[in-house]
Amino acid sequence: MAKAVKNKKADKGTSSGAVMVLGGGIAGVQSALDLTELGYYVYLVEKSPAIGGVMAQLDKTFPTNDCAL
Amino acid sequence: MTDEFNPKILGFLCNWCCYAAADAAGVSRYQYPPNLRTIRVMCTGRVDAAFILRGFVEGADAIFTGG
Amino acid sequence: MRPRFIDADKCTACGLCTTYCPRHLQDTFNEGLNLTRPIHIDYPQAVPATYYIDPAACLHVTEDTCQICVPVCRSHAINFNQKPKVKKIAVGAVVLAPGFGKVPDSTLAKYSYGVHADVLTSLEFERLLNPSGPYQGNVLCLSDQRHPKSLAFIQCVGSRDLGCGNGYCSSVCCMYAIKEAMVAKEHDPELDIIIFYMDMRTQGKDFDAARKRAEEQFGIKFVRAKVAGVTPWGAKGLRLTYSTMDGRHRFDPFDMVVLSVGLDAPKDARKISKLLDVELNKFDFCRTDPFHPLNSSQPGIYVAGAFQGPCDIPESVTQSSAAAGIAAGLLKKQRGKGYVVKSYPAEHDITGEDIRIGVFTCHCGINIGGVVDVPRVDKYTDGMENVVYHSESMYSCSQDAQEMLKKTIKEHNLNRVVIAACSPRTHEPLFQETLKDAGLNRSLFEMVNIRDQCSWVHANEPEAATEKSMDLIRMAVAKANRIQPLAEQTVPVTDKALVLGGGVAGLTAALTLAEQGFHCTLVEKEAELGGNLLVIKQTIEGVGTAATLKKLISRVKSSALIEVITKAELITINGFVGNFSSVLKVQEGKKTAEHTIDHGVIILATGGREHKPAQVLGQELVKSKQIITQQELETRLFGKAKKRAPSSVVMVQCAGSRGDDLNYCSKVCCNHAVKNALHIKEINPESQVFVLYRDLRTYGYAEEKYQQAREKGVVFIPYEVDNKPRITKKGQKVEISFHDPLLQEDVVMQPEVIALSVGIVPQGTEALSKLLKVPVTEHKFFMEAHVKLRPVEMPVAGVYVCGLAHSPKPLNETIVQAQAAAAKAAMPLVKGSVSVEPIVSHVDQEACIGCGLCASLCPYQAIQIIKVDKKRKAETIVASCKACGICASHCPTFAISMGGFTNEQIIAQIEAFGNSIEE
Repeated sequence: MAKAVKNKKADKGTSSGAVMVLGGGIAGVQSALDLTELGYYVYLVEKSPAIGGVMAQLDKTFPTNDCAL
Repeated sequence: MTDEFNPKILGFLCNWCCYAAADAAGVSRYQYPPNLRTIRVMCTGRVDAAFILRGFVEGADAIFTGG
Repeated sequence: MRPRFIDADKCTACGLCTTYCPRHLQDTFNEGLNLTRPIHIDYPQAVPATYYIDPAACLHVTEDTCQICVPVCRSHAINFNQKPKVKKIAVGAVVLAPGFGKVPDSTLAKYSYGVHADVLTSLEFERLLNPSGPYQGNVLCLSDQRHPKSLAFIQCVGSRDLGCGNGYCSSVCCMYAIKEAMVAKEHDPELDIIIFYMDMRTQGKDFDAARKRAEEQFGIKFVRAKVAGVTPWGAKGLRLTYSTMDGRHRFDPFDMVVLSVGLDAPKDARKISKLLDVELNKFDFCRTDPFHPLNSSQPGIYVAGAFQGPCDIPESVTQSSAAAGIAAGLLKKQRGKGYVVKSYPAEHDITGEDIRIGVFTCHCGINIGGVVDVPRVDKYTDGMENVVYHSESMYSCSQDAQEMLKKTIKEHNLNRVVIAACSPRTHEPLFQETLKDAGLNRSLFEMVNIRDQCSWVHANEPEAATEKSMDLIRMAVAKANRIQPLAEQTVPVTDKALVLGGGVAGLTAALTLAEQGFHCTLVEKEAELGGNLLVIKQTIEGVGTAATLKKLISRVKSSALIEVITKAELITINGFVGNFSSVLKVQEGKKTAEHTIDHGVIILATGGREHKPAQVLGQELVKSKQIITQQELETRLFGKAKKRAPSSVVMVQCAGSRGDDLNYCSKVCCNHAVKNALHIKEINPESQVFVLYRDLRTYGYAEEKYQQAREKGVVFIPYEVDNKPRITKKGQKVEISFHDPLLQEDVVMQPEVIALSVGIVPQGTEALSKLLKVPVTEHKFFMEAHVKLRPVEMPVAGVYVCGLAHSPKPLNETIVQAQAAAAKAAMPLVKGSVSVEPIVSHVDQEACIGCGLCASLCPYQAIQIIKVDKKRKAETIVASCKACGICASHCPTFAISMGGFTNEQIIAQIEAFGNSIEE
């Protein structure tokens, strides 16, 4: 991937407007959502069968004690 | 104490302040008596005097406007 | 891409396969606390909501036998022929968000973890507390399912622990331990809970208040101690060995022990590092520098979340938005290419249809269902006017529930939806989105708040709460009978931003916006840009700030897209998201001039400053040249004391913060003290430095610096709130007396300098709060829209916040927050238009008599009087209308109606309220 990024930088005209987000926890999901709002196609890559990461396992979150899901 | 006065209160809550505060009270788990029934409005400016009179006609013991 | 062995498009998530699967498997989602089967779904709300087969446990995959599930599945979704696929994708940037890893079990061994079933990790305990966990949220011992009577939390397991190589603080454990302890108490008020800690690091915004609540409201005990170990004791119990501050060893029995384990580097860190050629730091987290906290060593690759360094949810979310913003800047030429806009089915025209209402009542796990009798409430809706469908739901906001809702709307031809769950303030948009997906106008929706304003506040009165829920639902159904679809409107956006504040937050925000190609105006009230960074000379890492600040300022000044206006302040602001118009008062020589600026969004970065306390440590501040603030000490160490640091310094933490004038933790003072202490030791190793503290909050990597300071001979002495150090003046000298808990005696000192950590206060927030109608916290910091999920947005659309005006925070967090605010602010600018909520006012010009009362009363100047056929008529300027309804309530001819809040609807609600009394 590092190579791909470098190569893309080398020929600016054809570089890809897509972004890969590695990890589907709260950080990855938020990045992916924001990138789409900003006008980019996103590949969200998660190794487990569902996104959500550790936050999905949390019962409640401080301070609202909302369900973390 | 079956004769205890148990008023029925109708409330008009402003979405931005009182309704939000009532949500916040829930988040902090403040406990208060369960006599209030609320109508959410976008601002208490929406509350026509007619609504208040109508509330009394419908049997409210008290009307609460929070905004 | 690894195969799921289940065709996601066909799977209906019915769960039949799991019941037939013959093999057991530890449920990793529940941290192995219970069993599941190789074919399963982690949790019902999982996205995608599709089952999968764990290849390591499946009998068919491992042994080539079984396949029982294949014929069981009604929708023929199971497909063992799926093969791993390799997909090549071309991308212009990468965001690394692999999260964090687990502290190795070997580190937990001394606490009998793995030996005794009732020693749990905090994440296991989190699952135990969860209503969807192994015991439906009941706190039970894993060993024999008895209710534990006593529970101990042990902090700093695998953090601040050089033994396991984790010399950093994980930053989140103190707060989650408090949360878990409070939730456990909610489940079982009889449970005795003690948290054993070294320092309670609740430095986040309003976190100290939670700690106080835990202590005062929930009766959770906090004991400052080092725990040596946990051993099985007696027939079932556990024995905890610990030493307290006075050096004494103690032993206490407990039924259950929870280990507050830290965040380790992700398991794949080294693999990721090798694959992408990004550097790691010594703890195997991603290496970044304090001025570019999200840039990895590889251009185009950014990092967000715990891989950047241990951090909590708001910080992760902030970093994620920031990383998106930076990546968007890098790729601005490609914006919009390959972008797919979400489309909705054509809106179903309900004109002339019979009203068909569906009522959905939510359990919200135990949040509602634990108090309100949901089945009874659901049954109550049966037979209400035009209610043709009703049902209960465990979590009505979950992804699977949305699918269910869509299906139900279609199946039952529903054209009004009532959801009784939590607050419309948080969840209305979600359900309205689902309505749109189902082809319904989003206004055909009414929400009943039976959680925040019912079950949560009447927790001890289930009967009354149930009745209240029924009343509220009846009122909502009455309204639902009278709601009509409302048309969506959009308004164009001025693609320019206004940034208030020229400190590092404002500078960074402006630059991040400019890098994405947007114009912005940066306003600073002083003559010079730079803010606090002009006086903060180095970071805690020991890196000088001057060069970076100079570069940042010059980049801002040289950017063609940024206009810098100094000696200026905002005096008025009008408009709304996308169309603000602001007036600045600018000092020009001896005169002042007014500038008007049109902009689409505004970023508040007005910063903060060191607090000037009147009260210190419960007494009036003693005035002396020898008593200075940490900031003044830093200035001195870079100025006249550059070569000769004071020979003796006593630093006092929380001298101003946490209890005196300011009732909150300022987050940065402990770092500041450690930074200055190290600097003094560097100039003069002979200098004696003492730090008196309550909880030393060098969270994250700053913990290393704390360690270093101790190694260099800086003496750290804790003090208790009820026995604060006393500062007095003895002739020309100042004297400080305090209790040393190690020596168990009172100590008196006459140091050359006493440095006070006084805390941080926000600047300009109160005035702006009034101008912009945005809220501030009780401590006058701007209050964000949602602590966890919308940390840089204000509740008013188009207004964003970053830096010290939001809360005290160190430089790296300020930079990230500024980048995040800029990313969020860019969103409406990218889109080019904003949607107006359809609840704005509408004038029926037939009925309007043109009296103009509404226009004179409107607080937002959102009604204008126009001439229609030579007659005066009122007209709403929709984009300015805030939907308050003052016009509607005052119109003498009832010509004005509010979308979603018509007279007819509100009267119907009042009538329905009345019906309950007659019963």
